[in-house]
Amino acid sequence: MIRRGKGVGCMWYPIGFTVAANPSAATVKVNEDGTATLLTGTVETGQGSLTVLAQIAAEELGVSTDDIHVVSADTDTTPMDTGAIASRTTYVTGNAIKLAAENAKKILFEVAAPLLDVQPNQLEAVDRKIQVQYFPQRCLPIADVALQAQFVMGRPPIGSASYNPPTVGMDPETGQGKPFSTYVYATQCAEVEVDDETGEVDVIYMSAAHDCGTAINPMLVEGQIEGGISMGIGFALQEEMLFDDKGRQLNPNLTNYIMPTSLDMPEIDVDIVENFDPTGPFGAKGVGEPTAVPTAAAICNAIFDAVGVRITSLPATAEKVLRAIKEKNNSEQKFIPAAE
Amino acid sequence: MTDIALIVNGENKTVSVPPETTLLKMLRENLNYTGSKLGCDVGDCGACTVLVDGLAVNACLILAAQAEGKEVLTIEGLSTLEKYHPIQKAFEDVAALQCGFCGPGMIMATKALIDQDQDLTKQEIKDALSGNLCRCTGYTKIIEGVVDAYQEITGKKIPATKPRVA
Ligand code: FES
Ligand code: FES
Repeated sequence: MIRRGKGVGCMWYPIGFTVAANPSAATVKVNEDGTATLLTGTVETGQGSLTVLAQIAAEELGVSTDDIHVVSADTDTTPMDTGAIASRTTYVTGNAIKLAAENAKKILFEVAAPLLDVQPNQLEAVDRKIQVQYFPQRCLPIADVALQAQFVMGRPPIGSASYNPPTVGMDPETGQGKPFSTYVYATQCAEVEVDDETGEVDVIYMSAAHDCGTAINPMLVEGQIEGGISMGIGFALQEEMLFDDKGRQLNPNLTNYIMPTSLDMPEIDVDIVENFDPTGPFGAKGVGEPTAVPTAAAICNAIFDAVGVRITSLPATAEKVLRAIKEKNNSEQKFIPAAE
Repeated sequence: MTDIALIVNGENKTVSVPPETTLLKMLRENLNYTGSKLGCDVGDCGACTVLVDGLAVNACLILAAQAEGKEVLTIEGLSTLEKYHPIQKAFEDVAALQCGFCGPGMIMATKALIDQDQDLTKQEIKDALSGNLCRCTGYTKIIEGVVDAYQEITGKKIPATKPRVA
């Protein structure tokens, strides 16, 4: 019989470790046509980080994301970055880029201020213009200011900065400290169908609510969450590296290392729970790895809800689930003592 | 060496390769069409999917010689510099891909599916793409992209599933 069950998994996840050095550096230069070039050492692995980082630089400089030319991941020429690891890119690299853009903007403001007859701190950068706060009609195109800065004032608008999450050492006595800069939280719910005669589990629905600070690019956040859920489903039900006693992998290929296909994916609803983190760039934290954390827990809880068995080692293959169901049935069998 | 004459992306080509060469190897190494990816070389992942006479095949599973006289279409033949194919446009619009490694295969498999000119359901789309593995996206946005492309190209509609939570 097919039995349905629902389960919940919750998690928190640290962003920006501080127990070791964890720096990112960046350089932003504003060009004389009003575009900007961003140099960063981080690596795009498909998660869309370069888009998000360009958005951060663009927001700070008051230009469009299309105006930002990103040069990345070349250790010869780009500033040092700890790497596309630990769900840190938006937070740590993003902070470095925001600071670098701020430094470049400061030069633009200092050059524009006398031309607009104000103090630099009365200016703001929006819509590709440097304008006087509250008096948007008193403005100059960023391109003109950048040109002026370079060729008249001799001060090319360029900014460099680095960010290393502030460190608080662990107290050896109490073990207390601040090992991470900030945290994200998430809850995922799974609905499964379990066949109690075969042990087969089918995830039919997942909903995922994730806090990632400000979602700088909600579409990419959704993509990350859906991808994380597919990894979580593989972790929960299918994927397992098998080794022989000499340590050789028995399933080193996709024929028998089974990962989810389009048919294994349930309907997914993603809910981005926005929340401003004052330490992140424009309030952002991160989303990468956390997306795969609560999935397996939610699915295993749903299996328990459906058939009343706890699977405590992953993956919860049909064999394991069926064995657990049988054990449970056996232990619940009532023995009626024979009449004396 | 075997001489193979075939049409790749509309151009006549003659290639001389050892007889055991797969179509994928010939496309990538002799003709420099590196859009089709080598993921596993044994037919598990679909990253090498190309169209041979309109049918989606795993290019790593057929010999180059089997494509003799046939018309092969790879991802390079799908768009021009100026214009994306509607499938590519749909994939871009929904941010379907992340690392993109599965992309050429996914897109070619999608083209073969849509070209069949059948009425499709979402489940049938999932079925048709189940031979194309993706490690990054969870397929969700890819399927969305395929649905959009199908609707755009054929003018038919696939009803959207309603979210269960607001
Ligand atoms: S490379 Fe052909 S299926 Fe994987
Ligand atoms: S986008 Fe990375 S494998 Fe599909």
